[in-house]
This record gives sequence, structure tokens and C-alpha cells, in this order.
Amino acid sequence: MSYKDSHLSDQELLLAADGELPPVRAEEVASHLAACWTCRVRKGEIEESIRDFVHVYRGDLDPLLPSPAGPRALLKAQLAERASVAPGWRERWTQQDVLRYAGAFVLVALLALLVYARPIFPSRQRFHVVPVSFPEPSLTPGVAAGVNRDQICRSMPPKNRIVPASLQRKVFEEYGIAGAEPRAYEVDYLITPALGGADDIRNLWPQSNSSAVWNARVKDALEDRLHDLVCEGQLDLATAQQDISSDWIAAYKKYFHTDRPLP
Amino acid sequence: MFDDKTIPDLAVASVSSTEEAKPTPLEEEVVVLFDQMQARLLRYLLSTGVPLHDGEEIVQEVFLALFRHLQRGKSRRNLRAWVFQVAHNLSVKHYVAKRRDRQNLVEPGEAPVEDSFVDRTPNPEDQLVRNQSHARLQSVLRALPEQDRRCLSLRAEGLTYREIGQVLDMSLGAVALSLGRSLARFARAEER
Repeated sequence: MSYKDSHLSDQELLLAADGELPPVRAEEVASHLAACWTCRVRKGEIEESIRDFVHVYRGDLDPLLPSPAGPRALLKAQLAERASVAPGWRERWTQQDVLRYAGAFVLVALLALLVYARPIFPSRQRFHVVPVSFPEPSLTPGVAAGVNRDQICRSMPPKNRIVPASLQRKVFEEYGIAGAEPRAYEVDYLITPALGGADDIRNLWPQSNSSAVWNARVKDALEDRLHDLVCEGQLDLATAQQDISSDWIAAYKKYFHTDRPLP
Repeated sequence: MFDDKTIPDLAVASVSSTEEAKPTPLEEEVVVLFDQMQARLLRYLLSTGVPLHDGEEIVQEVFLALFRHLQRGKSRRNLRAWVFQVAHNLSVKHYVAKRRDRQNLVEPGEAPVEDSFVDRTPNPEDQLVRNQSHARLQSVLRALPEQDRRCLSLRAEGLTYREIGQVLDMSLGAVALSLGRSLARFARAEER
């Protein structure tokens, strides 16, 4: 069954007979067969072998095949039984459903990870919250607006005047915490407007909310105390402004007569 | 090439229903596929040595599996190869189980049952009836390696090389080589 290279191989003849050649090669083989008697004879021999096999295969097995009527009826009965049973989740959920729900689950898990596990994976821009209980004097010396006692005692200004976001950002930048989480700090007036403090960046500082002892709540209490003392005439305004701007914690201790914040 | 009907694309076909409970479209589709393929599947199973009764059970199992497959909305690509693949896997499982049973059941001193899938040695009366050529080809077929025999059977059932490769987990080249090798043996047998 060996032939010269100029002829088609048995393998190629079989592939051609079975329609398994790529279209271009199939055309070349067809052209060759049209011209080459030798290869046509070889192809005929292969077809003959196939015929021989099919003859034996079908001749031996076909007589053994029973009528399909019985198996067909049995299958129909079994299918009807299965179709009448409400499909379980495996049958109801198609592959697309499973993929869709799995995708949604992964998305939710990732979001949860991002929200709750941020401290585990800090971003590069993220700053650690540095507790700031004291303003930096060079950055925040404290600036008064030039109002007198009568003006501040005539009406009660809002306790926590909102500092514009742009000004808050500048304060953060000055203190070198531009990427800090805004909620971790409260940009606070060193001399509160209730005591004549000015809307000036030199009067603003980032007080960290994480300070457990000397925090914004304690300073608010000092501001209220000083405002009352000034308006009651027990303390002059300039002294109050000086005391709170030079060392607000010392001022708290002084005016509340305590070393620790009162509960 | 083989003298066989081509299986049409597996579309839903209408099947007349006179039964009391009207079958669902999916049931009808599976029954249509059964009509198209059950003889091919059973013949393939018999060619691998599976006894008729077991072969019929496997065919039922294959189409029930097909029903579940389609019910779950899984891929309908090339169901013909899928059906043969399931049948093939079940026949291998059947073969392994039977082999284990035989080994357990063989009494001391008793000859073990022949392992060959195709062992249809004709009895003396058949031998007289069948012509010499047929017997010679049968012996060639029996002598083929199991995988080559399966390749031939699947090709005879109309599967393409790609489908045969999928069912038997072989490359296209291996399928082509196997078929070429087997047919060459048939050719040599007839040259004698």
C-alpha cells in the first residue's frame, strides 16, 4: 500500500473520501484524482475496504436490533413521569442563571470588601489619622475679627459655623494631610466666632475626632464657658481670645478648675 | 460515504400525540431524537460488546439524561456527539462493572470469560452458512485494538472525525490514523 510521493497517500485519500479535507486541499485532491488512474484505483480500494467493514458491521448487528416500539413507549412513559414532577432548582436554574447569580454574588462580596476592609488595604493616597489636639502656632496663631463684647453678646452666633469645603481643603494641605479622610477631622476655629474669631485660615486648624480626651466636644464646652464669662462681665474679651488661642487645653483647665475634661 | 441516513439538525419536530396527557414540547423533542438515533446508539453499544438487554437500558438512560440536559437549558450544540459521548461513557462504566463482577464470580478452576468487546465467534452451523470472506473480515475486526474498533463503529454510524474525537477523547489526527490503519488491515485481509 505504499506509493510514490507524487501520488496521494492512503491517509489523504481516506480524508478526501470522508470529506474531512480543507476546501482548498479537497479541490487539489479532486483535480489529482481526475488525472491520476493509480490514485483513483487506490481510492476505490479504500472504498471497498469501507464497504467490507460496513457489510460485516451491519450484517452482524442489524439482525440483533429489536423493534424500537417497546423502548420508545417506555421512554415516553418515563419522560412523562419526569415532566410531571415539579423541577427542582437544578432544572429551574439554567447555566445562565447560575452564572448571573454567581456574578452578582462576587460583585456584592467585592463591594463589601471595599467598604469594610479598607483599613486592611490602605490606598497610597490614604493618610493615617494623626491625632491633632493642638493647632500649629505658625499655621494657626488665631485671628480675631475686631468685634467688641457688645456685638458678640447681642446675639448668639451659631455654635458650629460651617467652614466652606474649599477652605477645609486648604487647611488640610497646610497641615500636610491633603489626602486625609475629611470625616476623621473637624476643621475648627481656634478663636470661635462666638468669641469674635475671624473667618481666616490662620484661625482654622484640623482637630482630629480620634482624640479620646482633649477633643472637639471638650473645646466646644470651653468656648461656651468663655462666652458666658465674657457676656457676664467676669472676663474681658481680649483675655478670653488670648487664652483660647495660646493654649486652649490650659485655658480649659484654668476656667473649669480641673486637670481632666469634665464628663 | 457510509450507506446511512444523515441525521438532520436536531430541531424540534412535531410528533402526533394521541395519548391522554399531552406531552410537553421538550418531551416530544427528545422522542424525535430517540427515533432518529436509538438504532445507531444500540448498534454502537452492541459493537463494543455490551449485551442487548444492557444496551437497551443504556439507551434509555442516555435519552433521560438528554431530557435533563435540555431541561436545564444547557448547550444544544452538536447533540449527536453529546448523545454518543454519554452512551460511550455509560458503556465503559458498564464494561468496568461487568469485568469486576466476572472477576468476583469466577470459580476456582473456571476459565475467565473472554474480555473482548466483540466476541461473536459464529457457531459451527453459522460458520457453514457464512462465506469465507465474511468470516475473514470478522476475524480482522475482532483482532483490532478496542479503540480502533470504536472509531470504525462511530464512523459507520455517521459521526465526523471531530465528533469521534469528542466521544473518544482523541485528536483529529489520531482518529484519521486509526481509521486508516483499520481499513488497511481489511484491505490486506482481502488481498490474501
